[in-house]
Amino acid sequence: MRLKDQNALVTGGSRGIGRAIAQAFAVEGARVAVVYRGSQEAAEKLVAEINNKGGRAVAFQADVADAAAVEACVQRVEQELGPIHILVNNAGVIEDDLFVRMKPEAWNRIIQTNLGGVFNFCHAVAFGMMQRRAGRIINISSVSAEHVNMGQTNYSASKGAINSFTRALAVELAKRGVTVNAIAPGFIETDMSAAVRNKAGDRIVKFIPMRRIGTPEDIARVAVFLASADSAYITGQVLTVDGGLTLGAVAE
Amino acid sequence: MPTQDEIYSKVSATLVEALNVDEEDIKPTSTLQGDLGAESIDFLDIVFRLEREFGIKIPRGELFPESIFQGDPELVQDGRVTPKGLEELRAKMPFADLTKFEQNPEVGNLSNLFTVDLITRYIQGKLENGSQN
Repeated sequence: MRLKDQNALVTGGSRGIGRAIAQAFAVEGARVAVVYRGSQEAAEKLVAEINNKGGRAVAFQADVADAAAVEACVQRVEQELGPIHILVNNAGVIEDDLFVRMKPEAWNRIIQTNLGGVFNFCHAVAFGMMQRRAGRIINISSVSAEHVNMGQTNYSASKGAINSFTRALAVELAKRGVTVNAIAPGFIETDMSAAVRNKAGDRIVKFIPMRRIGTPEDIARVAVFLASADSAYITGQVLTVDGGLTLGAVAE
Repeated sequence: MPTQDEIYSKVSATLVEALNVDEEDIKPTSTLQGDLGAESIDFLDIVFRLEREFGIKIPRGELFPESIFQGDPELVQDGRVTPKGLEELRAKMPFADLTKFEQNPEVGNLSNLFTVDLITRYIQGKLENGSQN
């Protein structure tokens, strides 16, 4: 077990990629705080599932965009599980629209949740990690930070900023044994990508050299690696996990 | 009121924690940056730990001023601190021992002011003022 006795916090942990990461961490021996905003039922179901299998998980409600709520959430987690060794900022939302029609609210909501959430949780845990001279921060970005799509100015901007933030924070915390990395998933089978996948159908698969949509577990395995001792000398990196999507090969 | 020796040994223990150095490497005259390898993030940690250890509040920039002269030509000229700059330094850091610095007041030598002794004197002053209130 690669994460034995580690406490991990996963935001957006009840569904999709976050759910798979929480499960994979638990299998590797970590105690997992599953943070959700609205999906209480899904979060409790996941926690029960992990605990039934002999793992340890607890669900916590918090809106990642709310700094005070995040601060309080981290305190509750630390009271319950102890210091947080691994933070996964996975919570993210999309609200696609063509830019000229995009409402400022849609811009703000995406930036405040996707980017603000990363700031809020990092801010709440970084000093403790720094003092303990150990810690892993993993931000879930997206290939759309670099490989943009129509209607995603807000989403792409938030993910591009997460990549830069990841590098900048990595430099500040490196000396204190805290690594900060990001994962940029391509097309993954989740509720979030369902709309795009349904609209484009099989055409998407033709753009992916591996000819398959990724699974949440494909991302979770990389998250385990970045959370484990195996990645001790890696920091400030954005790992693309996309089956070759962004290599730019033209479909046959 | 703890004695100066007691304060010194607590400061020393704090630096061991914050800078990951051995206790025997710490002397009253050790400079934080040059001798003990402190970097900007470490100064933050030192302040935090001192506040907790001594139960005091250390306002930002009081113990470790970030920019004393702000590029003011009256205070610094050709990389050297002017007599007026030295006055400013004395006013802002009454707990600093400037005797040696005054002999060669190059801006580059400023970091040498920040020694284990300086922190001890600063804390002593803080505790004395606090007990008068």
